[in-house]
Amino acid sequence: MSLSTQQGDEDDNNILVAKVDNARNISNILKAIHFRDTATVFASSNGLKVTVEESKCVQANAFIQAGVFQEYTIRQDSATFKVNLTVLLECLTIFGSSSAPGMNTALKMCYAGYGSPLQLLLEEGGVLTDCSIKTMEPDEMLDFGFSSANVENKVIMKSECLREAWSELDMTSEVLQILMSPDKPYFRLSTFGYAGSIHADYPKDSDMVESFQCEQTQTNRYKLSLLKPSVKALSLSCKISIRTDHRGFLSLQYMVRNEDGQVSFVEYYCCPDEEVEE
Amino acid sequence: MKCIIPGANIKVFGKAIHSLSKIGEELYLEPLEHGLALRTVNVARSAYGCFVFAPEFFYHYDNSWSGPEGEMGEEEETFKCKIQMKSVLAVFRSLPTLERTVDRCKVTLDEGPRLVFQLYCKHSITKTYNLTFQECETLQAVFSKDLCPNAITAQPKLLTEVVQNFQVSLEEITLIVSPEKVILKNYVESEPDPSKVLHTQMSLAAEEFDYFQIGVDTELTFCLKELRAILAFAEAAGMPISLHFETSGKPIVFSLEGDPAFDSNFVMATLADLGSTQGSQSSQQQALNRPSTSKTKRTAKRTQQQTRRNESGMMENRRFQENRQPNRSCAGGGSFLPMDSGFDDMMNDGMDDVMAMGANEMEEALSQEAAQQRNGTSLHEASPERSGSPEIPLELGKRPRAHYPEEKPTSHDQSHDDVSMVMEEEEQEQEDLVPGTPPSKRFRSMFFGISSQSQATQAPTDTAEVLCEDTDDED
Repeated sequence: MSLSTQQGDEDDNNILVAKVDNARNISNILKAIHFRDTATVFASSNGLKVTVEESKCVQANAFIQAGVFQEYTIRQDSATFKVNLTVLLECLTIFGSSSAPGMNTALKMCYAGYGSPLQLLLEEGGVLTDCSIKTMEPDEMLDFGFSSANVENKVIMKSECLREAWSELDMTSEVLQILMSPDKPYFRLSTFGYAGSIHADYPKDSDMVESFQCEQTQTNRYKLSLLKPSVKALSLSCKISIRTDHRGFLSLQYMVRNEDGQVSFVEYYCCPDEEVEE
Repeated sequence: MKCIIPGANIKVFGKAIHSLSKIGEELYLEPLEHGLALRTVNVARSAYGCFVFAPEFFYHYDNSWSGPEGEMGEEEETFKCKIQMKSVLAVFRSLPTLERTVDRCKVTLDEGPRLVFQLYCKHSITKTYNLTFQECETLQAVFSKDLCPNAITAQPKLLTEVVQNFQVSLEEITLIVSPEKVILKNYVESEPDPSKVLHTQMSLAAEEFDYFQIGVDTELTFCLKELRAILAFAEAAGMPISLHFETSGKPIVFSLEGDPAFDSNFVMATLADLGSTQGSQSSQQQALNRPSTSKTKRTAKRTQQQTRRNESGMMENRRFQENRQPNRSCAGGGSFLPMDSGFDDMMNDGMDDVMAMGANEMEEALSQEAAQQRNGTSLHEASPERSGSPEIPLELGKRPRAHYPEEKPTSHDQSHDDVSMVMEEEEQEQEDLVPGTPPSKRFRSMFFGISSQSQATQAPTDTAEVLCEDTDDED
């Protein structure tokens, strides 16, 4: 049920109004990056970009394009604010997170500019919920300086083959080592824990690997505790692209298909733990 | 060493490891001629599990190993190691996933030295687990199912359904058998007030079992947790489970023998019951003059054993006793660690003796026994499970052990490790050397014919015979 009948003069103050028929399309994506309490929202004419950062080492971004919304209007070029992501998710799932067929939670999101709260109006089955979430001064976001031009190695594979490996990663290991090479073993994830070392090899000719571009052998280590939260994004996504640049910085991009078949993207950037010379 | 497990068998292999993981914390791996043996024993040494996978179980089975020379100068013939259960569980964590995705699993030994498990999965994906291990001696329980007068075979479903009726928190279960039926009930004797506790009891008629032969009416109490682990495996494997047992105090053996490709045996200690049988044996103990025996029952059992054993066995026992005495603390007689060589004495003791030994005594015993091994007093080879006495001596090499607290238990304790101290207290009381230590609850309860919670309960019924000297004297 759309909320178009709820238009009032509040809209004149709002610089951002976004409406969607199924709030889960938004909440599911946000859950994929929910490993810290606060997130920064960057709204532009393209849509929303929600960013979560950890330890100045890892950054996760969720891109919800304007096309995902039934209605999306923004009066400024862009608006940026920081909000408590935990609270936002709780509000979005206030009617419960189970997906009962036919019963969708409709969402209207409004923001009146710097200093105003983020207003959420949620409705399901005739029941209306009004949320007002305080916004905060946005922090400066890290710029990982990751550009496609500097990408040395890139692998695109189906998420399902990585899911189990990622969720069963040996947490007693401090690092996750990623090796990408034009030679065997092509793509290898390794952990070094108390039990010993564990390696998962994904050859380039596997039917799970859609694309494999490797210029030179690279081995990089990343803090496992920082990357582990990305398992949420992995479980939601259908495809994952893994890229490393000349500095060893890692970019994980996940393609997420929502319930209505629309595609959104989630991205994780992580800086390497240490350089391992090949 | 190199074994390749076909995809279809990985689930069974993984389930075996899961069930062993519920018993012990370390997995002993030994590729033998007749198959790959996976064994474990629990910390208290009251439960032992063993799976032997025959070469037919594998695509490829090669147990050869050119190892370093042994201490005696001869080449070590088989590879023996132990790995942490946690490590190997990481390989077989999610069985449904393994079943779905793994084509085969290769187990090899790498210079590293590492034990390597390689899972070849669908879509050409390979997962390699390089696990650290410790070299060790063979872990082997010596027991004989054939000598047990009581044998029951049941479908696992039957036993699982019975066991489900008991509280999840129940630790010990009592099995009462007679030629017509079997009664299972929760063990309440250790409760301070049995009338205030929930009693659950189930009877099964002999007809419900696939095989039912009772030679000796008996009542046995053993740990339920391990039984659940065994039943979980049996049900998953769909194999009938056989129970071989004799009387309380003697171990009970659960075995699964339906599949030609593998064998499994679980041996569990049973609580020694203070029934009439013990009283009659106490008179025999005097004749034995075994300085290192601390308990009537143990001696009595030894007596029983002796009547069955041949001359040489007895001789070995005595010599072994003499050898061990100076290093042996009286508690427990160290009997649950019968090593393969010269430890026939331990073969005579039941698993309950095992309980009696605290960790420290164990270490002593171990080093002593290891020394004995080296001295070549080996009279009993490391034999496959089906040989030897009905007792469960365990063979074990040098094992570092956690240290258990040595405080004398002044209250009813459930720790098997402290039993040794309790035994000593009892010794002292028997010697009228009461140093002011309050009598242990266990001791008192024995007088009243109520066993303690610990499976290591001994039964010094009415004797004040000193059968073993205090450790204090030996220090």
